[in-house]
Amino acid sequence: MSSLRQVRFLLGKDLRIELRKKESLVSMAFFGTLILVMLNIANGIGRQVDAETGAGILWVAIIFSSVLGLGRVFAREKENGCVAALLLSPVTAGEIYLAKTLVNFTLMLLAELVLVPVFYVLFGAQLNAAPLTLLPILLLVNLGFSTTGTLVSAISAGTRRNEVLLPILLFPLILPLTALAVKATSGALAAKPLTALLDQLEPMAAFCVVFTAAGYLLFPFAIRED
Amino acid sequence: MSTLNRTTLFPALAALLIPAAIGMVFFYAPLERTMGSVQKIFYFHLPLAFSAFLSFTVACIAGIMYLRKRQRIWDARLAASIEIGVVFTTLVLITGSLWGKPIWNTYWTWDPRLTTSLILWFIFASCLILRSAIDEEGKRATFSAVMAIIGFIDVPIVFLSARLWRSIHPTVIRTDSIGLESSMIVTLLVSMTAMLIFWVGLYKFRVALHLQEAKVNDLQTDGIR
Repeated sequence: MSSLRQVRFLLGKDLRIELRKKESLVSMAFFGTLILVMLNIANGIGRQVDAETGAGILWVAIIFSSVLGLGRVFAREKENGCVAALLLSPVTAGEIYLAKTLVNFTLMLLAELVLVPVFYVLFGAQLNAAPLTLLPILLLVNLGFSTTGTLVSAISAGTRRNEVLLPILLFPLILPLTALAVKATSGALAAKPLTALLDQLEPMAAFCVVFTAAGYLLFPFAIRED
Repeated sequence: MSTLNRTTLFPALAALLIPAAIGMVFFYAPLERTMGSVQKIFYFHLPLAFSAFLSFTVACIAGIMYLRKRQRIWDARLAASIEIGVVFTTLVLITGSLWGKPIWNTYWTWDPRLTTSLILWFIFASCLILRSAIDEEGKRATFSAVMAIIGFIDVPIVFLSARLWRSIHPTVIRTDSIGLESSMIVTLLVSMTAMLIFWVGLYKFRVALHLQEAKVNDLQTDGIR
């Protein structure tokens, strides 16, 4: 129980910093919107997209903008030597990992509250508005992206080339998750019921489980400064 | 012969066996009925793919061992196997594409095995980029060990998720039978052995090189102190 309290405490700390400075969230939503607008222009002005292309566009915008927020999660701690302070405090590395994963999960969800409506405004003319089928896909990708991303961003923040290395290390690992999400989303945008998407949702859930376990076990090695 | 010590034994063997394997591929193995001479690339493609996968397995094991023991030798083994694995996977992708163009009429398709090899290549190439970005020895070893382990965990997930698409890759070796002429099997076994011996030779060279590099580094930092 006390472990849960510590995770909640760490989560509250990070969300409070974010609420006061708003640096990650604003840049994520802004950059994601920018990508959506650029892809809309690249697609040809006034031309409609089908469900498969639309799904790809949505996920490119979400994944690329989420990396911005993810990079800050540990860079912020490194800047003032706060990682050492975190490790000295009476929390385990696993609790830090879970808290940081939840921070990133929340940031992605909040950014998607902006990006998904913008996506529908720009591309949605011929797509089925299915927010309830889209929701489980979004949640699963957020979870998988956050669990993998928190581990990788702890690694990349330990190097001198954080911003460059983070996407290079992370994107290959989450490629299966992204591919499954695109397939499931194109089904959702084509008005398929949720039960027809289980073929994609089940391996996505498996990905989340596997990488949560791997991240929890490997994170202590990635965060320790020796 | 005193020059033929343990490091040079495997390269010397590979230098004999690889030309022998090439000779067998072209003069001993029969011509495949439908694919013709194009099929002969298979005798290099499969051993390369097998050795590449072996390298990533070794990398994962070396990563786990490094995190447990913190010994320099395991980092050298990890680095060596990742390097060889990336080179071999590159060759697998090239040989596969060369075969695919005349047979499938395309260099590339999103088949599970092709997708898995490509993503593996990306993951472990990014591991090499990570290694080049860190100067501190302990940190570089720990981080690349973590990446090698999660990269290896990713493989079955990649393969399973790619299987949800479609497959046109030939399954030559199944659990119940091998769809090959016996002389083809012999040729395959010889080239497989040659490739594995070549792999061990390369691996030993690279491990020794990484250890020497670390020692030189030690001497230099001691000199500054």
